[in-house]
Order: sequence, then C-alpha cells, then structure tokens
Amino acid sequence: MSVGFIGAGQLAFALARGFTAAGVLAAHKITASSPDTDLPTVSGLRKMGVNFTVSNKDTVKNSDVLFLAVKPPIIPFILEEVGPDIEARHIVVSCAAGVTISSIEKKLCTFCPTPKVIRCMTNTPVIVREGATVYATGTHADVEDGRLLEQLMASVGFCTEVEEDLIDAVTGLSGSGPAYAFTALDALADGGVKMGLPRRLAVRLGAQALLGAAKMLLESEQHPGQLKDNVCSPGGATIHALHFLESGGFRSLLINAVEASCIRTRELQHLADQEKISPAAIKKTLLDKVKLESPSLSVASASKVSLFTNKSKKN
Amino acid sequence: QELGCRTTHCNLEVVQRSTLVFLATKPHVLPGVLEEIRPAVGSHHIVVSLVAGVTIQTLQRLLPPWTKVLRIMPNLPCVVQAGAMVFSRGSSAGDKDSALLQNLLSSCGLCEEVPESYIDIHTGLSGSGVAYVYLFAEALAEGAVKMGMPGALAGRIAAQTLLGAAKMLLETGEHPAKLRGDVCTPGGTTIYALHQLEKGALRATVMNAVEAATTRACDMAKE
Repeated sequence: MSVGFIGAGQLAFALARGFTAAGVLAAHKITASSPDTDLPTVSGLRKMGVNFTVSNKDTVKNSDVLFLAVKPPIIPFILEEVGPDIEARHIVVSCAAGVTISSIEKKLCTFCPTPKVIRCMTNTPVIVREGATVYATGTHADVEDGRLLEQLMASVGFCTEVEEDLIDAVTGLSGSGPAYAFTALDALADGGVKMGLPRRLAVRLGAQALLGAAKMLLESEQHPGQLKDNVCSPGGATIHALHFLESGGFRSLLINAVEASCIRTRELQHLADQEKISPAAIKKTLLDKVKLESPSLSVASASKVSLFTNKSKKN
Repeated sequence: QELGCRTTHCNLEVVQRSTLVFLATKPHVLPGVLEEIRPAVGSHHIVVSLVAGVTIQTLQRLLPPWTKVLRIMPNLPCVVQAGAMVFSRGSSAGDKDSALLQNLLSSCGLCEEVPESYIDIHTGLSGSGVAYVYLFAEALAEGAVKMGMPGALAGRIAAQTLLGAAKMLLETGEHPAKLRGDVCTPGGTTIYALHQLEKGALRATVMNAVEAATTRACDMAKE
C-alpha cells in the first residue's frame, strides 16, 4: 500500500514520521508534494526517505491512500487540480478542519462518479505516536476503507470512527487540545521556576506530571474526580493549590476553550460552504501559482473568491 | 414538657438524676454551670458537651479529673432525624462510652467519632453547611420563578431535588463527579447549565465558605 500527502507541512510530516516509526509503512512508499520547497518540513520529509515532489498529480498517481494535508481554504484548489486524476481505487482522506465530506464529494463527483472520501480529524502528537484521531466515512467509502484508515491511524495513536457531525467538537477538544496542554505546561514550568527550579528541569517535570496523569486516567476505571481526590490529602498542599485553580475559574476556561475552537471550526466551514474565502486567507505563493494555472480565475484584491465554479477547468 | 420530659430549674438535679448529661448552654454561660455542677459529678457520669467552641481540654479542666467527657457537634437537621454529627472523646472516656453515645445519636442521623481537630471543620462543612444548602435551594427556585414557575411549587421541587440527589450520593456510594457525568447528555441542558456554574466559580466560592466558617469557629474557640 502506498500513501500520498498533498501538502508537506506539519501534518504531513507528523503523520509520515509516525507511520515510519510505527513500521506500518516504509518511507519510500510515501510521497509528499508541495509547491513550496522552502518549508522546513520538506527537508525533514526528505531526510526520512519520503519521496518529495512539486507535482500534486504525481502524488495522486503514486498513492492508494491520499491524504489532503493542506489548510482548509486550499482544499478547493487542490480538488480542482487533482480531481481529474482521482480514480475509483483512491481513498481520499481529508484532514482539513471544517471541510465537509459532502463539499469534497460534490467537487470530485464532477471528475469521478464514486469517489471514496473519508474525513479525518487528528492532532500533532501523531508524531510521537500518541495521536488522537477520529474519522467519518463518505458515501462511497466501504467499511474496509474505513478499517484501512483506522489501522493506519491506530499505529500512531488512538483512532475511532464517529458520525461526521461530531468532528467539529473533536477539533475543539483533541485537535486544539495539545495547544492547551503546551500553554499549561509553559505556565506550570513558570511556577516551578518562580519557586526556584531551573527551567529545563521544570519543563521536564511538568511534562512528565501531565503525561503520567493522562496515562493513569487512561488505564484506570476511575473518574478523574476520584483520581484527583486520591492526590488531595486533607489540609495538604494539593488541595490548597486546587482551590486557587477553582477560584480562577480553571474548569470554565477549559470548557470555554473547547467551545470556542468548535464554534470557530463551524464558522470557517460555513464560510467555506458559502464559497467565499478572502484572498488574504491564501498564502501568496499559492495565489501566484493559482493565477498562473488558471488565467480565467481572477482574484481581485478587494473582492471575495468563488471557489467552486468551473470557469477554471484545465486539462 | 410536651414530649413527656421532666423539667427543673436546678442543674444539680439533672446531674443527680442522670448518667448521661448533655451540656447544651451558650458558651459564655458554661464555665459558671460547670462550677455549679462539679461537686455532683461522679465517675459513673458521662458528660457530653454540645457547646460550640469549648474544647475538651477546657471541659476537663473545669470538671473533676477522672470525668468521662465527650464533645459533639450536631447540625440542625437532627430535628428531623437526618442530622450529621461528629464527636470526640476526652482522656477518661472509653470505647463503651463512645459506643453508647454513637448508638444513641444514630437515631438522629449520621454520627461518627473523629479527632477533635475535625470538629471546627464539621462546623464549616455541615453545621453552617445547612445554610449554604438553603441558599442554593432558594436560588434554584428563584431561577424557576424567573422562567415562569410559581414560587411555592418551585420551592418544593428544589428541596426534593436536593433530597433526591443527596440520597443517591449516600446510597450509591459513587463519586459525585461520576453521578454528575451520568446526568450530562452530550450537548444537553445539564452541561450547558454546569458551564454557567463553572463560569461563576461556584466550586471555589463554596470552598471559600467552608474555609471561612471553619476559620471563624477556630477563632471563636480561642476567644
């Protein structure tokens, strides 16, 4: 089985690294493409032994499972470009936040009658094989296609199938989750430093504390509230600290964060569905490339771009 | 008198007629009372103090040296046999005396022996705690009234909700966080409401309340 990544940024790098480390895929069976060769992840992929190319079409031709690992506003351009090369054998996996299966199928159906589409939401810790991934299968993706993806993603962490309408919530929780954790860890380390620890040690201990706690929770039948209680001896240090967290509204901040990320994901999806993306959302190199390849598609600076028209059809 | 108990103006008479003597005066009155009854207190007596803020050490100092002394902190719902009581024993009180007290008072609710240092905490948690619950019940009902329910009905439902939730806690022995989770269907009404409570830092506020009452109990005991 060969795997391709359209896009050679953080996500492609993380997944490629994870798959190769897990031994489910040899590096030479992976192809990644991007018009931007200056990305630091590009050299990382090359060093891994992944086949790198500037041609998205080559990636499609050489892959059975095709990951769309680009930012959401770029997806329509990619589908337009590689659509003609998509065959019934391909499993197209979109990792783009807020991009619906139906929007992808709608686009691909103009090229291939029964495109297999799976929508996936993962997170960066796939890079250390502790990712959290969910996926939803599209209209023409079989149970076996879902299982294949699940096997791949399970090699780099936890993976389970969900209904598509839950994916935005997953984005808010585990998609963005590592960022919340990094923020917490940074602050915990600050606390350690304030109380006299050297920074490196503080970071190391903070990270290990969260890692250990997460592991305990995953391996325990107990409720996190119970596990918390187990750490809080009466009148001790921990309960004093927890009181501070509660006073600061720690819990509600976390709830707010998950909610905000989920809502924003839906907003972006809604914007995409309306087919109105401002050019500012698209990187300049990509814009130039698009202009070169589709002279009929004009991107006026002040206006919005309609992305799903057929005016820019090319051979 | 309505319950069929004998009443008297004479404290000594109570001590002479009883084996188990409860001290239920206000704190500032107690020293005088102890001085008064001291001559009549014998080794067969069990003296149980309900007086807030008066330590076992003080009680033992004001009574004959070998007197069996216990100190108890009840709470208001003892009146409906759903009280929460903790007690501690003095140096001369033995297992039999503790067992006697515990058996007697279990008829009024939960009764447990604890180290004396927990008594002020019990005040903050459960002695005063009853008032926190009344406040919460009132607020729940008020919310319902705002949404259109008549006050009297809202009040009864609020009380029953607290009673039912407490009963489940006591009978299932489950962690409250687990029971809370069981009520929260994804994206449902409960989780939306809980988010509001968390935004208001309810947990910290309640912790503050227990802390304030406990600290105050300690301070008052010192006065």
